[in-house]
Amino acid sequence: MKIPSPIFGALAAACLLGAALPLPASAQVSADDFNALKKLVEQLGDKVQKLEQTHDQDQKAHEQDQQLIQQLQKQLGETSTAATNAQQTANEVAKVQSAYPVVSGSQGAMHNFTMVGDAEAQFGKTSGQHATFTQADFAPIFLFRASDDVLFEAGFDVTLGNNTDSTGANRASGSSTSVSMSFGQLDYLLNDHMTLVAGDMLLPLGTYTERGAGWLNKIPNDPLARDFLPGSGVGVQLRGAVPVGDSGGMVTYAVYGVNGPSSTNSIANAGALDLSGNVGDTPNWHANPSGGGRLAVFLPWKPHYDLELGLSGQTGAWSDSGNHQWSAGVVDAALHLGPNIEVKGEYIRTAYGSDDFGQIHPHGSWVQAGYKLAGLNLELPYVNNIELISRYDRENDGQGTKTDRYTAGCIYYFSNTLLFEGDYEWLHSTQNAPAPNAFVLQLSYGF
Amino acid sequence: MKMINQLSSIKPGPRRGIFPALLASLILAASTAWVVADGTNAPVAQAGDAKPAKKPEKKKLTGAELYQINCNRCHAERYPTEFTPAQWKTIVTHMRVRANLPAAQAREILKYLQEDSGN
Repeated sequence: MKIPSPIFGALAAACLLGAALPLPASAQVSADDFNALKKLVEQLGDKVQKLEQTHDQDQKAHEQDQQLIQQLQKQLGETSTAATNAQQTANEVAKVQSAYPVVSGSQGAMHNFTMVGDAEAQFGKTSGQHATFTQADFAPIFLFRASDDVLFEAGFDVTLGNNTDSTGANRASGSSTSVSMSFGQLDYLLNDHMTLVAGDMLLPLGTYTERGAGWLNKIPNDPLARDFLPGSGVGVQLRGAVPVGDSGGMVTYAVYGVNGPSSTNSIANAGALDLSGNVGDTPNWHANPSGGGRLAVFLPWKPHYDLELGLSGQTGAWSDSGNHQWSAGVVDAALHLGPNIEVKGEYIRTAYGSDDFGQIHPHGSWVQAGYKLAGLNLELPYVNNIELISRYDRENDGQGTKTDRYTAGCIYYFSNTLLFEGDYEWLHSTQNAPAPNAFVLQLSYGF
Repeated sequence: MKMINQLSSIKPGPRRGIFPALLASLILAASTAWVVADGTNAPVAQAGDAKPAKKPEKKKLTGAELYQINCNRCHAERYPTEFTPAQWKTIVTHMRVRANLPAAQAREILKYLQEDSGN
C-alpha cells in the first residue's frame, strides 16, 4: 500500500516538532528535592567510607589473628615435643626407681606450707618484787604437708624474759632471749586408724602437753605437777583412733618408744635425774629407751557435751648406775557441759630409784574449772565475752616438799583467738614460808 | 515303693541334735528377717499394716557438728574463712594427728571447712 505523501509529510513535521519542544513542567526537579537527594548521596558516601575503614581494620585484625594462630600452633608443636620427651624421661626414671615404694597420694597431692602458732606478752607481780613485764613469747608451728599422707611439723619457742637469780626470782638485771624447738616430728598416716610419728614428739602423758600450748592454756602458767613429767621425747610413736557409736565417740591410743629421762651426770643420786635429757646410749648414762602410751575414751552425747577419760604412762631406765628406773602414770579427765562449762584435770604419779634417797615418789594433781558468762544470757556483749576460771594444783616432790596453789581469774575474749587473761595465785609451800603470791596478766593470740 | 522302703529303714537317731538345729535355724531366720527389715532395702509398709512404724534412722553427724564436738573442747572454733582450702587440708592433717581424730571424722570436718573457706 502506498502512503500518500501529504500524510507522510504531516507525520514527519509532527515528529520534528515533538523533538524540538521542551519537556512538560511536571517532569522538572525542585531545588529542595535536589539538595535533599544530594545530602542523601553524601551520607551514603560517608557510610560507605566508614564501612571501608571498618573492613580494613577487620582485615588487619584477621591478619594478626592468623599470625597469632600460627605462633600458637608452633608453640603447641614445641610443647607436644617437650611433653613427649618428658614422658620418655619419666618412663626411664620410673624404670630406674621402680624398686622404691611410692607414698600413697604423693603423685596427685599439692605440697603446702602453713604456719600456725601463738604469741603471748606477760605482765606480773610476785609479792616481795616489783611489777614487771616478765616475758614475750613467739611460738610458731611450721607445717609442711608433703602429700596427702605425710606431714612434717615443728614448733619453736622464742622467748624474751627477764633474767632471774638462783631462786628463780626476777632480781637479776637485764633480759635474755631463748630459742628452743618444742617439737619436730614427721607424721605418716598409715591408714584410717594408725599414724606413725617419728622425731622429737610431744608426749601423750595426760593431755596437757599436747593441748596446753599458749593460747589454749586458760591460765598463763603450767600446773605444778607437770614438772615431774618430760614434755617431749625423741623416738617413734604409733597413734590413732577408732570411732565408737553414732555420736562422734572414739577410743584413742598412742604407743611410743623414746630415749627417755637420763642423768645430768653419771651419778644416780636423786638430784641428777634429767627429765629433759631424752637421750640414750652410753655417754648419757643409760642404754635402754623408755616405753609408754596412752589409752582414752571420748564420749560426746551432743555438740559441746562430752566426757573424756584417759590413762597413760611411761617407764624406762634413767641411770645404768644402780640400774635405776623412772616411771610415770597419769590419769586425765575432761568434762564439757554445754559451750560454757568446762572441768578438766590430771592426777600424776611418778617413781624413780636413786642412790641417796632410795625409791622416790613425786606426785601431784590439778583440776581446773571454767565458766563463760555467756551462759547467763544477759545480752551484755562485754560480759558475754568473759570466762571465769579457777584452778587448784598441788605437788609433792617425794623428798619432803609439798606445795599447794589456788588460782582464780578471768579471761576476756576480744575474738576467738585473742585472749586477755588475768589471774591471782595463792601459793602455800612447806619449803617457802610465807610462799609468794602473785598475779599475772597475759595477752595471748593464736594464729 | 523303693523309696518307702528306704524311708522305713531309717532308724530313729538321737533327737537332741535336731531341736538345737531347728532352734538355731529359727533364730537365724528371725535375725535375718530383722536385719533385712531394719535395712534400707526393707519393703515399704502397706497401708493398714498393724505393725508400728519403724524407728527413724539416727542422722549421721555433719562436718559442722563434728567440728563443734572435737575442736571446741580445746580451743575456740576458728572460722572457716580464716584459711584457704589447701591450708585447711594441712591444718586438719595436723589436728588429726595431734588430737587423735578418726580419719572419717577428720574428712567430714575438712569438707565442712573447705566449703566455706577463704580465698
